[in-house]
Amino acid sequence: MTRESDSPLGQPAESAAGIGPAMTAKSELVGRDSSPGSEAGAGVKKLPGFIRAYVRFTDKLGLRVGLVAMALTFVLLGFLIEASVARLVFGVSHMWSTEMAMFTMSAYYLLGGALSEQDDYQVRMDLVYSRFSPRNKAIADVITAPILIFYLGSFFISAVGSTLWALEYGQVNYSPWAPPMAPIKIIMTFGIGLMLMQIMAIFFRDIAKALGRSIE
Amino acid sequence: MNYTGIALWMFLSMLALLITGQRMYGIIGFVGIATALALWGPETISMPFDAAIQTLNWYPLLTVPMFVFMGYMFSETGIADDLYRLFHVWAGPLPGGLAVGTMAMMIVIAAINGLSVAGLAVGATIALPQMLRHRYDKIMVTGVVQAGSTLGIMIPPSVVLVLYGMIARVPVGQLWFAGFLPGLMMGGLFILYIVVRCAISPHMGPPLPKEERDQITWGERFRMLRAGTIPMVIFLSMTGLFLAGITSLVESAGIGMLATILAALARRKLTWKTLVRTTRMTLGVSCVFMWIIQAALLYSAVFDGLGAVNALETLFLGQWHLSPLAILLLMQASFLVMGTFLDDTAMLVIVAPLYVPLVIQLGFNPVWYGILYTITCQIAYMTPPFGYNLFLMRAMAPPEITLADIYRSIVPFLLIMLVAMAIVIAFPAIATWLPDLYFGR
Repeated sequence: MTRESDSPLGQPAESAAGIGPAMTAKSELVGRDSSPGSEAGAGVKKLPGFIRAYVRFTDKLGLRVGLVAMALTFVLLGFLIEASVARLVFGVSHMWSTEMAMFTMSAYYLLGGALSEQDDYQVRMDLVYSRFSPRNKAIADVITAPILIFYLGSFFISAVGSTLWALEYGQVNYSPWAPPMAPIKIIMTFGIGLMLMQIMAIFFRDIAKALGRSIE
Repeated sequence: MNYTGIALWMFLSMLALLITGQRMYGIIGFVGIATALALWGPETISMPFDAAIQTLNWYPLLTVPMFVFMGYMFSETGIADDLYRLFHVWAGPLPGGLAVGTMAMMIVIAAINGLSVAGLAVGATIALPQMLRHRYDKIMVTGVVQAGSTLGIMIPPSVVLVLYGMIARVPVGQLWFAGFLPGLMMGGLFILYIVVRCAISPHMGPPLPKEERDQITWGERFRMLRAGTIPMVIFLSMTGLFLAGITSLVESAGIGMLATILAALARRKLTWKTLVRTTRMTLGVSCVFMWIIQAALLYSAVFDGLGAVNALETLFLGQWHLSPLAILLLMQASFLVMGTFLDDTAMLVIVAPLYVPLVIQLGFNPVWYGILYTITCQIAYMTPPFGYNLFLMRAMAPPEITLADIYRSIVPFLLIMLVAMAIVIAFPAIATWLPDLYFGR
């Protein structure tokens, strides 16, 4: 399973100190019911090629964008330090640094959402779920995925609508600095769309796992 | 079906869907938008993004990644190791001393981070193996680490109190002051329990053997005190500037994060790998918070539209004729029950908009109620089935600690927490005295 080896970080975020949710063993994708004597010689049935390509592409994109989100942590810090220094040393508060910090925060968690899904951080109520085998977890997720996709889909439609409106009417933020809202809304919409893509990719992975097929 | 019925149906269907184990933010958001679309038609499609914009405009949320980063940085860079050695050497010779020292360390860690994860990580990976090696009772020490780490959300800075402040519209500064004494009181009660327990059965926490003590000279002991200065400086630079009114809450969080990075640099513990790991974990945990808040805001907006608050008020006050205190206890009990299976952020965003106006209308102090709510969260963190701490403890603790040990270990500490809650209910001044004194009402 190459999700982590794609990573320039070299190492999954959870392994060393064990902080954060334990990764489910995604390496167990190869099911027992695979036919070793298939003519392809690969030994394992695979999902159609375009789905595998989609999953690979989305995982890579999610990771890249997630790295950008990680860098935003320090951009955020920069704006806050700027605001503190301006206050402490020059005795002024800059409207723009506060607002930019707020925009950065939105971009941070919306762009980082896909990576948080890849790293399997999102919390679940695991009273029953935690007792399932990895394969049964995948089956449960496949069954309930429409719920998640419906929410993220409507979220995305909602975001596109709001962004188009902001572009059309040149909406500015309701503040003395009055920055245009379209740029941040475009970034937010992109992040939500990426989250939807990532959830679809995980959905395909879960299908593969439930059927005992390889996705690589 | 009337609106109250729909509100009830929304709540129950959310709980039913949560059992499936699908991601929490997805279920909360789905129930919100599906109800809105079904009740009010397609124009409500704007609601999910309205919730995102509402999140954008909530300035104090910026403290979330800052405080999470500080906690992880602190445990990742080994600053915490020194702190543990400090308490190990100074408290070790007493019966149960290592456990008392661990609890003291938890209080210090709580003062420089806003969640319980960092304390738990340090406790489970550093303090726990040491205490086991010194033949401390494993059930007691597991409880010590779990209970101690929950102080992180009570003693300022606290992410839970920041979120509560936003929802209850109470200044976060007042809440932080209010959390200080109850936090110390709980820490004190935990220490008292350890001391009494070890006095009754000394085998649970034997003192450090003499030969090990003699290896450490008094000079070294005093040099180790310096390990305590780093957290102190971080705490003062952050909380001090905020309380002095020089920087805002969010700016102080930024300063705290910067101070943590500088401390790690000064101690030459900041590697590129550590920085990347810490940043990635921070992103993961912050995303959990933010995506749940966003979905829960959508859910509460729909819930609000149904007039659920009024329905609840009429039910409690008009129909059941309950006294204010009885209603308060009822609310706490329902929080406790919900806390066992709902994530604390989701619980806050969904339930607090119902409860906080009610609390104020009944004539209670919302600052004081924030402290009661935080104790509930502490308990919720430790109670199965959905307890962050249980879950993390399982991942981090040494293998000889079984799940059954973890479950058994929390019982005495849960009772102490309930006692602490009762004390704060009976004597509200424990929470309100300090903020009243400082803000001079």
